[in-house]
Amino acid sequence: MFNVECLMFKDMKRYIFSIALALVALVASAQIKKPELMVIPSDNWCIQNGFYTEVENMGMTVKVPNYKQALQESMGLKLAIAKLNDLMAERQFPLQSLEQTIKNLEQRRMEDNLTTSKAGNELAESPLDEVARTAKCDIILELSWEQKNFGPKHSVSYILEARDAYTGKSIGASAGTGAPSFSADVDVLLEEAIVANMDNFNNRLMDHFTEMQEIGREIVIDIKVFANNAAGIDLETEFGDEELVDIIEDWLQKNTVQGRFSRQYSSENVANFTQVRIPVYDERGRAIDANGFAKQLAKFLRKDFNIPVKVMVKGLGRAVLILGEK
Amino acid sequence: MHMKKFLLPLLVLVACVSTSCDAVRQKKANKDTNEYRYEIECGGNAIQGTYLVKVWSYSRTPSIAENQCRKNAVHGVIFKGYGGGQGCVSQRPMANNPGVETQFEDYFKSFFATGGEFQKYASIVGGTTDVVKVGKEYKVGVLVSVRKDDLRKALEAAGVIRRLNAGF
Repeated sequence: MFNVECLMFKDMKRYIFSIALALVALVASAQIKKPELMVIPSDNWCIQNGFYTEVENMGMTVKVPNYKQALQESMGLKLAIAKLNDLMAERQFPLQSLEQTIKNLEQRRMEDNLTTSKAGNELAESPLDEVARTAKCDIILELSWEQKNFGPKHSVSYILEARDAYTGKSIGASAGTGAPSFSADVDVLLEEAIVANMDNFNNRLMDHFTEMQEIGREIVIDIKVFANNAAGIDLETEFGDEELVDIIEDWLQKNTVQGRFSRQYSSENVANFTQVRIPVYDERGRAIDANGFAKQLAKFLRKDFNIPVKVMVKGLGRAVLILGEK
Repeated sequence: MHMKKFLLPLLVLVACVSTSCDAVRQKKANKDTNEYRYEIECGGNAIQGTYLVKVWSYSRTPSIAENQCRKNAVHGVIFKGYGGGQGCVSQRPMANNPGVETQFEDYFKSFFATGGEFQKYASIVGGTTDVVKVGKEYKVGVLVSVRKDDLRKALEAAGVIRRLNAGF
């Protein structure tokens, strides 16, 4: 009798442990993927302060911001980024460091250049891989400020704007001109402006996150076709009575939150879907992002229409599907 | 001898009347707070983690209790927010959802009770009282420093407002 009870107790313990483990796994998986934020100086600020390089692009001279030079030479910028990081960390939302990201990229590039196999072969990396490595953050916080003088007094005008790195949409901004001062230097005034404006800025970020949790994450899906692909298809290929692009649109209608998306452009080779609101969890309760959603679409096309699809990851908010080959 | 007999009850009566008057005044002041009958404006640039606000409260006597000014300041930061201008930055109310006051009625009842938790988050900046007579009342303006970061953390911990990283 004692042994039976003991065994039952052991079984119960095992069950309770398994249930607890499952619950922990469920809670852990139920977290939405956290966007990464990074502060960068705005193009306007970089150009006004001479931190840019000139690049020839199709016969035109284009000014491109030089973030590395700005970080090395502007103490004000470093101070502003440190202050913003401090305030965001206080809200349990630490920022990605622009300086560290640049350093890591350079370090990795250097390591890759020096890595060779025993046979003398270099690492295989497409130019696209290198470009993809640079796009690391999901929300860009663009910062700019300017000192204004009113006779002996001076003040600081300040703008901080958050933009979705994939959709390019503005998430929110805070801007204003601080109180004029006779004695405080520009760095102190800038710090004051950041501290005073941060709550308003975070309120807008909070609105964005709440909206995302209520009506889904907004992503961009680009669909392209490999030229002369082996499957011999393009977006106007008909399956039954419907063109492939319409089949994809029907799938999006069914699988987006409240059928929210818009077809920005489509041709036989390209289709761009913007404002695609995807659910933050899949049917199994796992957090998904653009990549997960695009993989579901790729699976549907592969399974139901036998179309080979290559899915390219572009972060939490953008996915590219290339049809025809892997 | 006779005087002594009358004096004691008279003193007791005066004490009772004054206590009940205080209680009535306190009740009236609390009612004003609950009905948002106060004004809040930016009081200037504050140090990190605080707001400096000027709170205008209404009273029949100009000596409105300091406690009520602090209560109004914290109430204003949570539910009202304030405008900016002249180098000041306007702030939205901490509670974004207007229904939160009724949804968490019990919490706020004890939070704003006399001697309640609100006291921890506000302090009067001394020597800055302004008094204006408006009809039969006085409008009393006091500069109050509100520890908004600590206040926000307390409200987040109580589930009254959402954390910035909630859900992630």
